[in-house]
Amino acid sequence: MPTIYYLILSFALFLIGTTGVLLRRNALIVLMAIELQLNGGNLALIAFSRQLGDLKGHVFAFLIIALAAAEAAVGLAILVGLFRGRQTVNLDEITLMKR
Amino acid sequence: MSVLFPDGASAGDVVVFWILAAMVAFFAVFTITRKNPVTAVMSLVATFFGLAAMYATLSAHFLAVLQVLVYAGAITVLFIFVVMILNREEVTPLSFRPLRVLGVLAGVYLFVKFVDVVAVGMPTVVPATPSDTFGTVAAVGDLLFRDFLYPFEAISILLLVAIVGGVVISRSHQKEVAANLAADYRKQVHELASHDYPGAAEEPAPEGHH
Repeated sequence: MPTIYYLILSFALFLIGTTGVLLRRNALIVLMAIELQLNGGNLALIAFSRQLGDLKGHVFAFLIIALAAAEAAVGLAILVGLFRGRQTVNLDEITLMKR
Repeated sequence: MSVLFPDGASAGDVVVFWILAAMVAFFAVFTITRKNPVTAVMSLVATFFGLAAMYATLSAHFLAVLQVLVYAGAITVLFIFVVMILNREEVTPLSFRPLRVLGVLAGVYLFVKFVDVVAVGMPTVVPATPSDTFGTVAAVGDLLFRDFLYPFEAISILLLVAIVGGVVISRSHQKEVAANLAADYRKQVHELASHDYPGAAEEPAPEGHH
């Protein structure tokens, strides 16, 4: 398949992730939506990598996968700590830094 | 030729692409619309598997395996664990605040424009099939440990910091709170005792030892 199809799919994936981040108020689902966004970026990198015949895109995708693992670990740890203190994962109720 | 069936692509490639694309898009939407977090995680796994298969069709064999191992394996298990710890019913699954809806609409507009632009600017021919070693563990590893050694080390430090940070942040503080309470209590008892019996010993001598 031409690269353009993969690019459009990757943008769609990123858009779905953005929609999840903006509209969902459950912090867990928001973290999953962020993973979707990172995967959209990865797909674009790998599609361009094949288009250009250059493996550097694969290396960057590899680094992004490691980054996503770190992000998920820290994000979920924050979520657990937050839930211990406040008994909620609703992002609209976490307004400590708004005042 | 048509939009669905581009020139020069083999029938198998086209069919596989559309099946995988439909699967990825469907399960991604499913992920962000489910009320139950467990269902959301499971559709996230399906999305990751679809993407892994898509990486394989892009001759990124190493990354396809990595996607299954890291995403569908490790990260998903992490999510499942946290879902089980929290286990909360969600009251308001979606919040349609005007500004956020505007943001989503802006994203959709950007997507439509992106499709237009990319249809003009990008070549629509199928790229030449890369060499047999393209995307294998050996090829990617060679690049990773020669040209990208410093980024690789940096990402390993990032992972280490993330592990330590995760442990520190999610650690339970109940023991410390209990220890502080006990220390306060002992201090109070000590003050009262030294007030009532000014000359008495600091600590009562343990019995049975003479």
